[in-house]
Amino acid sequence: MRRAHRSVHRALWPVLALAIAMGFVMALTLRPPPDAGAPPAAEDVNP
Amino acid sequence: MSAGFRAVQWNQAKFVYDAILLAAVALYIGTYIVLGYWLDPPKDEPAAIDMRIRAFGTCAFFMLTIILSIGPLARLDRRFLPLLYNRRHFGVLTFFVALLHASFMVEWFAVQNALPSLYDELTKVSDYGKFIGFPFKALGLLALLILLLMAATSHDFWLAFLTPPVWKSLHMGLYVAYGLVVMHVALGVMQYDRSPLIPAMLAGGFLVVTVLHLVAGWRERAGDISDKLSDDGWLLVGPPLSIPDQGARIVAAPGGERIAVFRDGARIGALSNLCAHQNGPVGEGRIIDGCVTCPWHGYQYRLEDGCAPAPFTEKLATYRVRVAHGMVEVDPRPLAPGTPAAITYQ
Repeated sequence: MRRAHRSVHRALWPVLALAIAMGFVMALTLRPPPDAGAPPAAEDVNP
Repeated sequence: MSAGFRAVQWNQAKFVYDAILLAAVALYIGTYIVLGYWLDPPKDEPAAIDMRIRAFGTCAFFMLTIILSIGPLARLDRRFLPLLYNRRHFGVLTFFVALLHASFMVEWFAVQNALPSLYDELTKVSDYGKFIGFPFKALGLLALLILLLMAATSHDFWLAFLTPPVWKSLHMGLYVAYGLVVMHVALGVMQYDRSPLIPAMLAGGFLVVTVLHLVAGWRERAGDISDKLSDDGWLLVGPPLSIPDQGARIVAAPGGERIAVFRDGARIGALSNLCAHQNGPVGEGRIIDGCVTCPWHGYQYRLEDGCAPAPFTEKLATYRVRVAHGMVEVDPRPLAPGTPAAITYQ
């Protein structure tokens, strides 16, 4: 790896990692509560 | 390496690598499906397809996690270098596993005559403004396109055509693909399947990749700190015997690239630390059969002048070397690739 390549990698990588970590935590905390009722119809469920 | 075009430069190491890889993928998917049928037999055809979707999807995620871990692992411990040797085949296989995952998803809709629902899901513009409810399949599709681009340009022809720096930058897209895959699962199956295994898989894989990169990156930083300069601007390397025999010490020029200073008995030569093939760290390799050998893919160069032995044509930049007051010194200004510059010290 060239020096410039390493510098860009070091600058961008933490930003990407932080964005993914935040996205994952938000997706985990904001997910709707489990439905206690009947299971949804097949066409409403994604594979 | 090859002196001419060959579709795949097969050798025994690659056959063994690919055989182990294929066996591991088949074992994972087979075990997943057998266990799935045993623990919770699918009630209908869509459920059976759903199991295949999950088997191939999780397999692709684990493969991506491993691929992204190989680089830092190889930097932290040389025993992982064999994994790096044929990493491109690993990547191509990952694309095909991901492609099968996507094709089973299309089949899931098709067997229920619900393909228009898939189309609606991907084209409902208002959903793209949501976070929960975002069309997560679009994220997976984008990741698949990036994997396709990686796989299509994985051949050495593209590496030579695009040049190693451009090719490496392009293949950094794998990090973006990994992020898209994490969010594809987090906004998809994790939203309605409450199994703790899904967040555990995502967080575990992501943490492994992150921690390995942070540790390897921290170690790498030291390598970019410039070494001491003599009064006339030459880099101080150290006494000749501080360079391992048939190995190298890597020094950094101020604001420049790293230089690999090799010793082969009484011969000392300095070459660019960037392999002409993929810009791999030549200085972390050894002298094998009289040639400096890159640890990544075995590209070889003569210590004397940085030229690959005939019939190969790759050349590395060389640097002038001297021994002054018992210390090896290197002129940080590179010579033209292929310029003889090695010395014999007394």
